This record gives sequence, structure tokens and C-alpha cells, in this order.
Amino acid sequence: MLRTKKIIWFLVPAFILYLAFFIYPSIQSLYVSLHDWSGFAKDMDFIGLKNFKELLGDSLYWQSLRNTLVILFLGGAIIFIIAFLFTSFFTSGIKGKKFFRAVIFYPNVVAPIALATFWSFLYNPRFGLINGFFRLLHLDVLAKTWTGPDLIFWSVLIALIWTYVGFYLIILLSGAEKIPQDLYEVAKIEGANRFQTFFKVTVPLIWDVLVVGIVLWIIGAIKLFEFQFAFSGGTMVPQQIWTNAVYMFLVSFGKRTAIFRLGYGTAIAVTLLLLIIIFTGITRLITKRERIEY
Amino acid sequence: MNKTDASLQLKMPVAQYSISNRMNRFWAIIIYTTLIAWTIFSIGALLWIIFTSFKTNKELYAGVWALPKGLHFDNYVKAWSVVNLGRFFLNSIIVTTLAIFALTFLCTPAAYVLSRFNFKGRGFINNLIIGGMGVPYQLLLIPLYKIFIDIKLADNLFGLTLVYVVLSLPFTIYLLSGFIRSLPSELEQAALIDGCSEYGVFWKVIFPLAQPGIMAAAIFNFIFLWNEYMLALVFLPSSQNKTISLGLYSIQSAMQYTADWTGLFAAVVIVMMPTVIIYFILSEKVMTGITLGAVKG
Repeated sequence: MLRTKKIIWFLVPAFILYLAFFIYPSIQSLYVSLHDWSGFAKDMDFIGLKNFKELLGDSLYWQSLRNTLVILFLGGAIIFIIAFLFTSFFTSGIKGKKFFRAVIFYPNVVAPIALATFWSFLYNPRFGLINGFFRLLHLDVLAKTWTGPDLIFWSVLIALIWTYVGFYLIILLSGAEKIPQDLYEVAKIEGANRFQTFFKVTVPLIWDVLVVGIVLWIIGAIKLFEFQFAFSGGTMVPQQIWTNAVYMFLVSFGKRTAIFRLGYGTAIAVTLLLLIIIFTGITRLITKRERIEY
Repeated sequence: MNKTDASLQLKMPVAQYSISNRMNRFWAIIIYTTLIAWTIFSIGALLWIIFTSFKTNKELYAGVWALPKGLHFDNYVKAWSVVNLGRFFLNSIIVTTLAIFALTFLCTPAAYVLSRFNFKGRGFINNLIIGGMGVPYQLLLIPLYKIFIDIKLADNLFGLTLVYVVLSLPFTIYLLSGFIRSLPSELEQAALIDGCSEYGVFWKVIFPLAQPGIMAAAIFNFIFLWNEYMLALVFLPSSQNKTISLGLYSIQSAMQYTADWTGLFAAVVIVMMPTVIIYFILSEKVMTGITLGAVKG
């Protein structure tokens, strides 16, 4: 077809904006990460890889990296297991599927700050709903300081799992619903049980969708910020729930005390990108090999 | 005896299969219990927030589980006018509406070109844009903020709108490309043969046909941008120009001094109502938006 030349102008406005305000600053961040810069001074001091060297010895960075990885792997595993479980529920012909699906998904449309507010009240040790519930049942032993240093990370993780299960359920379901029903009939006639049917029919057939879901989770989990940042209710975010994304923000723009170490903050952001590249790369490698087997 | 036993055993599963309609009772109980428990918690949370927003703080402390004694609108009045949430609500409406319009008219043509035409560098441009979905916003936050200070768009609602448009470009183009690719191309051919211009084909054929995809993208972007606050926190530092979720954030930050939980929950309800209502009406569309992006056409 000889109709390309003129139509290219349809692409130009979006692409120029994208280059100027997305690609250019992304590349510039690599440059900024090599500098010491407060943001107030016009000039940045070039310090080479010093920011990255400092990261290696920064225990707060490692602690927040650990939290990021626990959310990524443990949180991710739980989210996908529950999402898979619900997928198997929904493909076994239950009633009210649309309703349940809509309910499980809804936290994803609510502002994370609103969710954080609700959950911090839920966990509130003195008059929160959870402890209130336990006291109502005379199970005072179970009423804990959920937002104390020992438990706060796990409290946050549970809230995150509750929020994101719905998102990945929708993705897995979109694949599972495309599987022709007769394959399940065949499996049934062949005498496959629930688990066999699920692992031998459903999982292989939604493989592509599963990979997309995992990649989306990796990207989403590594840049997760808003829930943790709002969870502490406006005081300094407790260190126990810092992720790299939170640490990056605090180092750069602070909260009670702004630090404005913009070069160092950008260096942390660069490591966020590296984490995403590494983990999505590994996922693609592993899943490619698996797919050939089928 | 043995024979009948065997035949009974053979028949049993068949009989059960027809009785319980493909599901045995045990699994049905487990499945429904889990789903109903999840539902009670999730819907309960929503209802509890709404009920609490109508209570006074005294009522709340007297019993967190009790229903409000009457409809106590003071919390809403206070949140809307005293804390200025009304103003912030309007700001959010302006920012999200502008951003969605800009995204529609920037991304639909771009997605059309990328999904229907073959030209040198298409693959590269496509990958560059799709790759943007993997870039954490934190990466470009600081350089972009510096650019916005230089071009005098920092601390400005239109500046934030531009940030939102740019950062939503990759996903929106990705979603719309997938949708346009799934459209049949016969109509375009027919329009071309009838003497329609290149641009005419797009505006008269593709743009109307792509409406479901455009709607899905618009809904998805609305929900995302309405809820966003990290970028707003950086790009709107002054207090007059806040967006709604930023407004809620500052109310929440003041909580340690005010301890006004019911006022806070009224603000929570104001912030979440628009997206929840849209979801309530259009939940299928919202989910299609996500799956359109995830499951490539």
C-alpha cells in the first residue's frame, strides 16, 4: 500500500512529547545519578560512581531492598496462588461469577491513599477494627500491636495482597475464559480430577497470559510506593515498611525533613530500573524455555 | 454381589456428576465459603467507611461497629469547605478531563499508524513506546521536575496534566494498538476506494470503530489519574493547587494533631466515590481495559 508518507504525521505529536518528556529525562537520570546535587544549586558536582558506592554501604538502602524483594517474591507468590485458586473456582461453573469477580477486583479502582487510611484504622491497636473484633470474641490474646515495628511490614503485605489479587485474577481469567469448554469435557471423560485438569489443561493454555501477569507484577511491585507512603498516617514513614521506591522519595523530597539529595535519589531510581530489567529478563528466559516443552 | 458392587461404583460418579451439576458438594462448599468470606470483608470495608463517615468522633469511640445514630453530614461539610476538598475535587476533574482528551487525540492516531502501517523504524518506535511501560516513574521524576522548573510548568495544574499525559502515553498507545489491530481492515479499503483521503479514513472509519477501545482507555486512565498522588506530591508543592488525593493526603497528615477520624473518613468517601461509582456502572469495561492491555490482540 502506498499510503504511508502523509499518515506518519499522525504519530509525530505523541512521539515528540514522548521523546521530550519521557525518553529524554529517563536518559538524563543516568547522568544525574553520577552527580551530587541539591536541586537548589544550578550546577551539579560530578562525582562519578560515588553515589552507587555509597549505596553499597547504606544499610537503609539494603533494608528497603530486602522489603522490596520480600514484597516482590513472597507477596507475588501469595497473590498468584490466590489468583490461581480463584481462577479455578471461576472456571468450574459457579453461580454469581460476575459479582464475585467485580468484588474481588474493586480495591484496584480505589485511591491507594484511601485504602491506606482504611487499613491503618483497621490495624489501629487501640480502637481498630481487628483488635475490636478479637475483644468482642474475648480473644484478647490475639489483639496485637499490628502497626508496631515487628508486625507492620506483614500488616502492609496482607493489605497489598488483598488489593492486588483482583488485578491478577482478572488477567488470568481473561486467558482461562478463552479455553474451549470441550477441552474440560474431554479431561473429565478421561477421568482427570480437579487438580489434574487445572495443571494439565488450564495452566499450559494460559501460559502467555500468566507471563504477562508476572511481568506486570514485577514492574508494579518494584515501583510500589503510594500505599506504604500513606500508611503511616502522615508521620515519618516507619523504616520497617520502606521499599526502594519509598527510600528514593524520602532521600529526594523527604517528608518531615526534606533532604534533597537528588543525585543520590536518582541513583536509587536507577537501581529500581535495573531490578526491573533483571527480573523481567529472567522471567522471559525461564518462561520461554517452558513454552517450547508444550 | 461383586458384580453389582462394581457396577455401582462405576455409576456413582456419573450419578453425582449429574446431580450436583459438574461440582461435587465438598468443593462447592469450600469455594462458596471462601468467596463469600472475601466478599463480606471487602464489601464490609466499603460500607463501614461510609457508615463511619456519618458518625461523630464520640460515636466512633463509643463503638466502632455500631451504626451511626443519624445522618451526620457535618463531616462532609467540613471536609468539602473547611479543608478545601471541594476546590481540590474541581482541580482533579480539570486535570483528569484534560489529560484524557489529550491522550485520546494523541494516542489514537499514533496507535493507528503503529498498528496499520509498515515503515522503516516502526519496530524501533513501537518498542521504545512499549518499553516505557517498564520504566518506573521514579527514574524520570527528578530530571523531569528540573525540566518543568526550567519551562515554568512546575507547581501548575497544566504542568501536572502534561506529566500525566506523557506518563500515560505508553500504556494508552499499547492498549489502543491492540484494539485497532483487532478491527477488520475491509472498511478502510472500501473508504479508500470510495475516494476518502488518508485522514478521512482515520476520522470517518477508524476513530468511530475504535470507540470501545478509546472508552476502555479513557476509563482506565481516569481511574489511574484520579488516584495518583506521588507525581502530584512532587509537581504541585503549593497548597492551593492540590488534586483530590493530595488533599486527602494532607488531611491524613494532619490527623496526628486533629485525631478527627470521622472527618477523615468523610474525605475518604469523597475521594473514592467517583471511581467506585464509575466502576459500579462500568465494571465490565474497566476490566476489559486491563485485559485488552494484557492479552495482546
